[in-house]
Amino acid sequence: MFKKKKITLEYTIEKCSKCGTEVKRKYSDGDVLFSRCSKCTSCDGMMMIEKIFGETLEQ
Amino acid sequence: MSLVNFTNFDFDQLFAMSDDTNPLMMLIWILPIFFFVFYGQRIQLYVTSGEIKKGIKKLDGFRSESRDELINYVNKNLKPVDDPTAKINRFIDYFTIMPVEMDPNGIVDKVQHIVRSREDYTREHVRSLSPQMSDIELSKVQTLLEIASSLQMIYKIINHMYLTAKKQNNYPLILPLQMILPFIMEQSEAMKEAIPVFKKGQPVGDGIGPMVVGKMMLENQKETIAFQTSLVKSEFEGRKLFLVKADGPGSTVGRPADGLEKIVSENKIDAIIMIDAALKMEGEDSATVARGFGAAIGGIGTEKFQIEAIATSKNIPVFSIVVKQSVKEAITLMTKEIADTADDVRGQVNEMIRENTTQGQSIVIIGVGNTGGVP
Ligand SMILES: [Zn+2]
Repeated sequence: MFKKKKITLEYTIEKCSKCGTEVKRKYSDGDVLFSRCSKCTSCDGMMMIEKIFGETLEQ
Repeated sequence: MSLVNFTNFDFDQLFAMSDDTNPLMMLIWILPIFFFVFYGQRIQLYVTSGEIKKGIKKLDGFRSESRDELINYVNKNLKPVDDPTAKINRFIDYFTIMPVEMDPNGIVDKVQHIVRSREDYTREHVRSLSPQMSDIELSKVQTLLEIASSLQMIYKIINHMYLTAKKQNNYPLILPLQMILPFIMEQSEAMKEAIPVFKKGQPVGDGIGPMVVGKMMLENQKETIAFQTSLVKSEFEGRKLFLVKADGPGSTVGRPADGLEKIVSENKIDAIIMIDAALKMEGEDSATVARGFGAAIGGIGTEKFQIEAIATSKNIPVFSIVVKQSVKEAITLMTKEIADTADDVRGQVNEMIRENTTQGQSIVIIGVGNTGGVP
């Protein structure tokens, strides 16, 4: 009756293996855990996908 | 003047069964009692069946939705040779007959044989839908098929129980149905919500074990140790590690017990550590990490039996680390809380290795669970 609608937002966390910088962004199709994706912005290391998860919000 | 005086009931008059009671009042009192004695069950049946009917309607929706999603997925992504609808409809209705339990000697082998034949059969027939399908796609379709046929089975059983109770006006028969329905609905809703996650190839909550071990495997060469199961040999503080998990990122649980059997037959193993998701109890917090003894592995029990048998025959201690979660969390997109335990679990694995083994020893670490989305 008064059930709130729940939506799940999908996120991907990229982490630099060298300096440990973490970036949280929206999940995009084709993201695979532990794959290298982009250059780190603060050092010359590579970013790797560390986590893929969902966060549920009530509307 | 108020119509009813609430404070001043004359209880004697209300309940008195003496001669001066109004016979009409007596009839009003007694009639409903008879009515309920004879028709109470039927009334309850009508009230309850309304609720159950709603549930069944929902279940019916789930099963047809899951089937349509599967057919759409196959049509859209796999370019099947011909229309897969009839074939898929047939797969969904496949049943499994468990072996006789009267003579339990060797029952595990029999169950394993039936379950594996079923898996092999569906795999080959899913492959026949579209011959150039990759193994990852294949495991996806197989999982979607599993979901669709489970939902179909649930709908059929619940609907059967309901219709039988209704047909026979049998209230006691509808009682157990009313009791299990909330659990069934929870499971079915979780299964329905799992569909898009498996379609996209994202990690599910049950994948926490493979995720932890998969990360430990990075930078080492993977080899195949058993069907859909990989092994990586690595080192940790002077100990030899045998890391085992299902072949990702396809959606499979692999055959860790077969892998373990092979490792143990070729190496002297001093400890086994298993990492798995475990069902949390109601009221327990999700994503809590717990440690214990014994083989942490779900499923129908054949893998667990095999692992226990190997460990017992070689006298190897088995340790487990589990991450608690609900049914729904286990099969839908991994929650942030569960994903965040990965580092903690890794730390606890290291601690367990230090506490229970010495330098020069060998340890098998198994990441148990569905490895969908986890390479
Ligand atoms: Zn960096």
